[in-house]
Amino acid sequence: MNVGVAHSEVNPNTRVMNSRGMWLTYALGVGLLHIVLLSIPFFSVPVAWTLTNIIHNLGMYVFLHAVKGTPFETPDQGKARLLTHWEQLDYGVQFTSSRKFFTISPIILVLQIVPTSFSLYMNVLSPTHLPPGQALLSCFSQYFIHV
Amino acid sequence: MANPGGGAVCNGILHDHQKQSNGSQRQSGNCTKNGIVKEAQQNGKPHCYDKLIVESFEEAPLHVMVFTYLGYGIGTLFGYLRDFLRNSGIEKCSAAVERPEQKDFVPLYQDFENFYTRNLYMRIRDNWNRPICSAPGPLFDVMERVSDDYNWTFRYTGRIIKDVINIGSYNFLGLAVKYDESMRTVKDVLEAYGSGVASTRHEMGTLDKHKELEDLVAKFLNVEAAMVFGMGFATNSMNIPALVGKGCLILSDELNHTSLVLGARLSGATIRVFKHNNIQSLEKLLRDAVIYGQPRTRRAWKKILILVEGIYSMEGSILHLPQILALKKKYKAYLYIDEAHSIGAVGPTGRGVTEFFGIDPGDIDVLMGTFTKSFGASGGYIAGRKDVVDYLRAHSHSAVYATSMSPPIAEHIIRGMKLIMGLDGTTQGQQRIQQLAKNTRYFRQKLNEMGFIVYGNEHSPVIPVLLYMPSKVAAFARHMLERKIGVVVVGFPATPLAEARTRICLSAAHTREMLDKVLEALDEMGDLLHLKYSRHRKSARPELYDETSFELDD
Repeated sequence: MNVGVAHSEVNPNTRVMNSRGMWLTYALGVGLLHIVLLSIPFFSVPVAWTLTNIIHNLGMYVFLHAVKGTPFETPDQGKARLLTHWEQLDYGVQFTSSRKFFTISPIILVLQIVPTSFSLYMNVLSPTHLPPGQALLSCFSQYFIHV
Repeated sequence: MANPGGGAVCNGILHDHQKQSNGSQRQSGNCTKNGIVKEAQQNGKPHCYDKLIVESFEEAPLHVMVFTYLGYGIGTLFGYLRDFLRNSGIEKCSAAVERPEQKDFVPLYQDFENFYTRNLYMRIRDNWNRPICSAPGPLFDVMERVSDDYNWTFRYTGRIIKDVINIGSYNFLGLAVKYDESMRTVKDVLEAYGSGVASTRHEMGTLDKHKELEDLVAKFLNVEAAMVFGMGFATNSMNIPALVGKGCLILSDELNHTSLVLGARLSGATIRVFKHNNIQSLEKLLRDAVIYGQPRTRRAWKKILILVEGIYSMEGSILHLPQILALKKKYKAYLYIDEAHSIGAVGPTGRGVTEFFGIDPGDIDVLMGTFTKSFGASGGYIAGRKDVVDYLRAHSHSAVYATSMSPPIAEHIIRGMKLIMGLDGTTQGQQRIQQLAKNTRYFRQKLNEMGFIVYGNEHSPVIPVLLYMPSKVAAFARHMLERKIGVVVVGFPATPLAEARTRICLSAAHTREMLDKVLEALDEMGDLLHLKYSRHRKSARPELYDETSFELDD
């Protein structure tokens, strides 16, 4: 009912992440960030990945989970003012595809750190020269051996 | 003249030769024998399904959407930066701020809610609210204004940009023009009645002019009765609450106008939204409503009202009336059509979307329309069966509390309607309607050839051309004004996030030269701003759908 609005969507923020091409834009944005970080000569590849993760997580935290309300006035009498963007997505319906996508994407990003740090890991950190998955497992197995 | 409805136009009045002369049977094709009403058997489908609906809502290529979101994203990041600079005092803040004495009070407004207005809209604000200083005819005069501080304040240079081509006003039949001698009767009525009514309809505000206008509207629309109101928006928002209330169900199209949404909310009925023009979505909602009834008590709904529009102003799409009518009859719901943009603009004699499809207007329960678009006046009407209109005369909120229509405006509408119906003895009205249809066909065909993405039905005079990116919206509007063409552009949040557009409204008063000038400018802008995204280029030769008349000069 906002003046001058041509649709009956009460809060357009809920539909923003479902728009066509939004996920691709997000992925390209993260890729761009990573390439920019890789271009800086001081940062090695593992550091660039770590920084990508840190900056991406900070950005997502601020925009999705810290900022409350909407950047435009909505006709819902302020119901959305107390909600973060994450809570507003799809009017609070859980496990929609957008929510699943944005839950999985930081996990995928963090899983990129170990394989790309292979040379550093192999030569400096890992005495066993095992592949990373197995080495990771063996790292944790020491905690179970004493049982 | 094309007559898809099977009626014949005689002296400007559409005669439906299939209609029963018996007034009590409004449904076409019914016959009563021995007290039993049966629908006359017809061979095959009713003729109203023959009208081919050609509309397109093409999607842009994916890279366009990506760039649009990137544009908004960069704008947002810079917005945060500028907000930080303003809050920390590095940059001067030109927006309204709370007084320092009230710093510890609870804030009146949340400043994040104005983020979009402050940081994105303010940058391109000069494309909206441009003051004009002449009648909104096909050419108009725009007051020149400049801004010294990036659109926070404007000042008028005193110059006037004359003869700007107007493709933004809803002046479909060209009736919104300066006074000339053919409007003599309006001047006489102004001298006789004055300009104000100073009363509501129920008290002393019902004039003979209103009665004359209401009878004329009923005759124009081929219905039993009509009632007119002073304001078009208020016609919807004040009458829907009188028709439905608590315990009723309203099924409203997702792109309905704000007046319909407001009326629906004020009524207290339950509102369910169906996808735009989507018959399957509407049918599903109707089935669920009839099967499950009201939410907790499972009682039957008192009334089910389907709220739709004839032409949707932001999309240019025409309602799929035959299918909705079939659904309405099957599930016994009521239908309310808001013909604000379609009355006078579609249909072979301008009777609106019912005539466009060849449907008897008696089938529709409530026909609503406004006089602001095609008739160049102000106000609205509601038409339908006599008992519905009489109920509204007694119970409409607008009749009880709002002032009635001003008499010179009523006379202007009477004059316009007589012109369209041919009652003034000329064929000028019919010529205007045909000119509008010709202009629409020509313009849409040329836009499709050029490769723009254009939404809507091919017969609708409302033409949205998609621009997508917020910066292109601003560039387009500014360049068009430099070329002395006045356009209306719309962006987020009035439209979905990535579908910013310019909405072109054609008029019967536009000559071929004006349209060619506009098309040339659009062509240049399309190349400059890379707006020609369409991947379905139509051929230069128009296909013939169901035309029964051939025009040799196109």
